[in-house]
Parts: sequence; structure tokens; C-alpha cells
Amino acid sequence: MAGRDLAVSKSVHDHSHDSAGDSNEPGYFELMEAALRELLVEKRYFGADEIRRQIEVLDSRTPALGAQVVARAWTDPAFKTRLLADGRAACEELGISFYDDTRLIVLENTETVHNLIVCTLCSCYPRPVLGLPPDWYKLKPYRARAVVEPRAVLAEFGTIIPDDVEIRVSDSTAMVRYLVLPRRPEGTEGWPHEQLAALVTRDAMIGVIPVNLPAGAAR
Amino acid sequence: MSKPEDLVRKLPNDIGGDPAEQIERRERDLEPWEKRCHALADVLDFHKIINTEEKRRGVEALGTEMIANLSYYERWVVAFTNIAFEKGILSPGELAQKMDELRSRWTC
Repeated sequence: MAGRDLAVSKSVHDHSHDSAGDSNEPGYFELMEAALRELLVEKRYFGADEIRRQIEVLDSRTPALGAQVVARAWTDPAFKTRLLADGRAACEELGISFYDDTRLIVLENTETVHNLIVCTLCSCYPRPVLGLPPDWYKLKPYRARAVVEPRAVLAEFGTIIPDDVEIRVSDSTAMVRYLVLPRRPEGTEGWPHEQLAALVTRDAMIGVIPVNLPAGAAR
Repeated sequence: MSKPEDLVRKLPNDIGGDPAEQIERRERDLEPWEKRCHALADVLDFHKIINTEEKRRGVEALGTEMIANLSYYERWVVAFTNIAFEKGILSPGELAQKMDELRSRWTC
């Protein structure tokens, strides 16, 4: 069903034109969102300030938080054990609050296992630690293919996993989210925490790429 | 290939394993209304007015044609209003009236 995604892309594309903002006219769906929200506030289902506060929460969540978690796991074995046992509790220990009712399972990449996360049904994602997902994570090609041909999908991200390394794909749900703990690159022994955290990218914590040393960095 | 029973096996959203094209690594910032819509979704979930599972099922219930032609957050907002109607939280008439009111407030 190639048509479905083309339509999604087209729609997303059209929107970016709208947002160029030559008119202040709100779109139909933008009006619908505003109307729904105002009606629910009027009916006292929640307060207008709750939406504003949640936007601030969303803005405060970026992959930099996940990178802190990963760097800590690389440098603190006891923390890593706790993180793998209960991802949410270990993140909360670092002050990362979970604003939703989700459980977090952290999947460790090793010499023999490479993990990849996906949500085939929709777009479930470890938002408290990574922020909102990129568009490609929400669109059909990644969702449809990651579970059946992960090696081909990874190759499109430039990631080649040796045949003797097992690839495990974890399919997220509304209640259970995953985060990949990437392998620490060789040559980073003794690096300070912040320098390690700076290496860790969003895509590495989704599992589509490894953590790499910047070209020419450290030996 | 497409026997009636194939339709029963999977809902429209259940696309894991379907053939699909190359991944286009699109990145963009959300538009302000999309972010408000996301915050609304979270607040609806916090208060158990519409939880994440209900939202997902609400999007599925839009059917293939709407899923194909509406963008991601457009699907969410339509799903929310449908669920709100079903739960008796508001009526289609109230929503239409409020949308008219907001449109005139915006354009005046």
C-alpha cells in the first residue's frame, strides 16, 4: 500500500506550506483542536494551564536526557544493573520524571546482540527520555519493514551488522516502551561523563546506528 | 491474494511486515498547533478522559481512506472528537458552534 504513505507525506508537505504563514487563517484541523480544547476547559475536564504546562514538559525532553542515562550506564556498573532491571526507576533516580503511565525496558547492545526499537501499530516511543519521535519513526516504511527485514532497514541508515550478531527488534506498545543502550565505543576509556554523553545520539538509542567516535577524535 | 479473510487478520494500523518503500529520513519541527495537540493528548490521558489505547483505536476506526489522507495530528484530533462524542462529553453541534466562534474570533 504505497499510496497510504505518499498521501501522508503529501499532507505533511502541504502543511509546511501552510505554516509559511502568508495568511493568519487557521486550518480546519487546527480549529478543531482549539475548539475541542476550549470546550473541555469550559466543561472543567482540565484547566487551560495544564496544556501550557505539558507543552513546557514536551519542550524539556530531548535525546540529551537519554544520553545522560547511557553515559551513566557506561561509567557506573551498579547503575547499569539497576537500569537494565527497571529502566523507569533508574531514569527517575537521575531526576528524569515519567509523565505518562509507561514502563521502560532498556535493551543492551553487546558483541552478540544488536537491538532495534519500533512501534508497528502507531508511534509509541520513550518520550520522557528522548522527546518526540522523528517523522520517519512514525511513517509506514520504518514501521512496516523493521520487524521483517531489520538488516536491510539498518543498511539504509548506513549500519551494517555482522551476520553472526543477532538482531532483536522490540515492538513498543502504549504501556511498554524501549530504549537501546548502545555499546560504548572503543578508545573512550577514562573519558569524562559529559564527553561520553555528547557522543550518544537519538538514533543510537533507537538502535538504527551505533555510537561512533567523531572522525579524528581521541586515541 | 486479497481474500475476505485477509481483511479480518489485520486492522489498518497493523502494518508490521507489510511491503513498503525505502525509509525517507524526514526530520522537521512540529507546528505550534501540532504540539498543542500532542499536549492535549497527554492531558486527556492523564485525566483518563481518553487514554493512549483509546486514541490508537480511535485512529484505526477512522478507516483506511481517512488514515491515508489526513496527517498524523489531523488523525489524532478527529479521533479525539469522535471519542468525545461517543462518551457524551460533547456533541457534534457544540463542536461546530465552537469552531465557528473561533473562526470568527481569528479573522476579525
